[in-house]
Amino acid sequence: MSKNELIEGIKKVGVGVLDVISQKRKTSVTIEPSIIRQVVQALLEHQPRFVIIAAVDLGMDIELLYHFDVEGKLVVVRTKIAKEYNQIDTIVDLMPAAEWAEKEAVELFGINFSAHPKSGHFVLPKDWPSDKPPLREAFKGVLPEQFCLVAESLVSTGMTAPMSQLMQRKREEAGLPPSPPASFANEKSLGEVREAMKGAEFDKKAGYDWKKGKLRRA
Amino acid sequence: MIGKKASSGVRDEMKYALFLGCMIPQRIPSVEIAAKKVFEKLDIAAIELQGYSCCPDSVVARLLDRKMWLTLAARNLSLAEEQGLDLLVLCNGCYETLVEAKEILKRDPQTAKEIGEILAKTGKKYEGKVKVRHVIEVLYEDVGVDKIKKFVKKPLKLRLAIHPGCHMFRETEGGDIWRKPKQFEEIVKATGADVVKNKLDRLCCGFPVMQVNEEFALKRNLLPKLAAYQEHGIEGVVVSCPACNVQFETGQVLLRKYGARYNIPCLHIVELLAMAFGYSAKELALDIHRSPVQQLAQKVI
Repeated sequence: MSKNELIEGIKKVGVGVLDVISQKRKTSVTIEPSIIRQVVQALLEHQPRFVIIAAVDLGMDIELLYHFDVEGKLVVVRTKIAKEYNQIDTIVDLMPAAEWAEKEAVELFGINFSAHPKSGHFVLPKDWPSDKPPLREAFKGVLPEQFCLVAESLVSTGMTAPMSQLMQRKREEAGLPPSPPASFANEKSLGEVREAMKGAEFDKKAGYDWKKGKLRRA
Repeated sequence: MIGKKASSGVRDEMKYALFLGCMIPQRIPSVEIAAKKVFEKLDIAAIELQGYSCCPDSVVARLLDRKMWLTLAARNLSLAEEQGLDLLVLCNGCYETLVEAKEILKRDPQTAKEIGEILAKTGKKYEGKVKVRHVIEVLYEDVGVDKIKKFVKKPLKLRLAIHPGCHMFRETEGGDIWRKPKQFEEIVKATGADVVKNKLDRLCCGFPVMQVNEEFALKRNLLPKLAAYQEHGIEGVVVSCPACNVQFETGQVLLRKYGARYNIPCLHIVELLAMAFGYSAKELALDIHRSPVQQLAQKVI
């Protein structure tokens, strides 16, 4: 089996494979968490040896790094789980050796591996409360908390604060249009500003959830 | 459009794209009204920039993310460029952001390329052609104090302080940082008011500090300034920045919880000019202010 075959096999999984970096003795694959099982299935074609799952608390997300050994070369599958969703599929039925590593991540970081076969403590004392995983930190964005509202408004409207109804009324009473001709006043401009936010990747930095239309919270 | 009608043959140099920013339309729209009336009188054609975003703010937004700050600023500059007009701003913070972003994009080709690529995805292009003008510069350099004086109906017999604001001292390399503050003073004097100076005129009002340490901003920045104004018998403070204006007004309210009671009117330079030109407090909707600007106007008009 060549390294190229391995990479092509992973890429065939398709949507959800975000990045593949291949070095001499290491291949790093970044994926969406929803395709972890498909990627592991693709790896199984190459008879991998499971090594470890490392978890890293990033503040808003927990990064999981699944390490495999394929013919003496390291393959790291990286994925991020949003803390507010906190869930990923188990791979234990595909790769039984992952059982204790998933269990450790459950206990220390509070991650839910859906359909994980075993419950109960593995590394923590038996009387350790299950809702207090010791290595999991409180939800924390990159931006200081006091600037989150400003950041949320900037990403969603292009302005530092939303226009209040009270001010719209006051403007009308004073003979002005209810809103100025700003970015939030028409769809085209708003679309441009939002594209600019995505292009500058400020939406990611601020932790903006486009589906919910607000900053991510715990 | 604000001010002179487009069809009236206004000279090109008196036609601008007006950048209203966030603060004026959303917090002190009386400044927008006054600007409209003053520009009309002085033959300034100010065409409201359509679809603009926050400049964005030169302190907080810039520190949150420089790339986002530059991208939005470049987009705003590109909007004015599309109209073939220079930008006229009514706010010190907007002025600093737009001028500095322009300079950075001019001097740093790598950054300019990166920002240009992001802008291109939004269908915009910035070519560095637009000039950014503070309202103080336009009033002093393009209109002129003599012309302003002609429209003063009744000289304002007031003892006023000027708060130039930190960002007004921004100049391009080698420029005189006192150029705009001195112009500001001459414009205020043109209304007939006495400008009373004090040693704390250059002290920051504390607005940007409020979001980090409110008590510090109020006690160490605003309070000493208010005390100095009271000591000098100041009847009002004139600013050229809506953020400073908000700080002077809400700051005086917030200071009450620390036992300091001040009620000094604070208004924007275009509002002062509109008052001098004879517009009433009602016409200017001065009741929007949180300091007694309306009472100040009623005293002199």
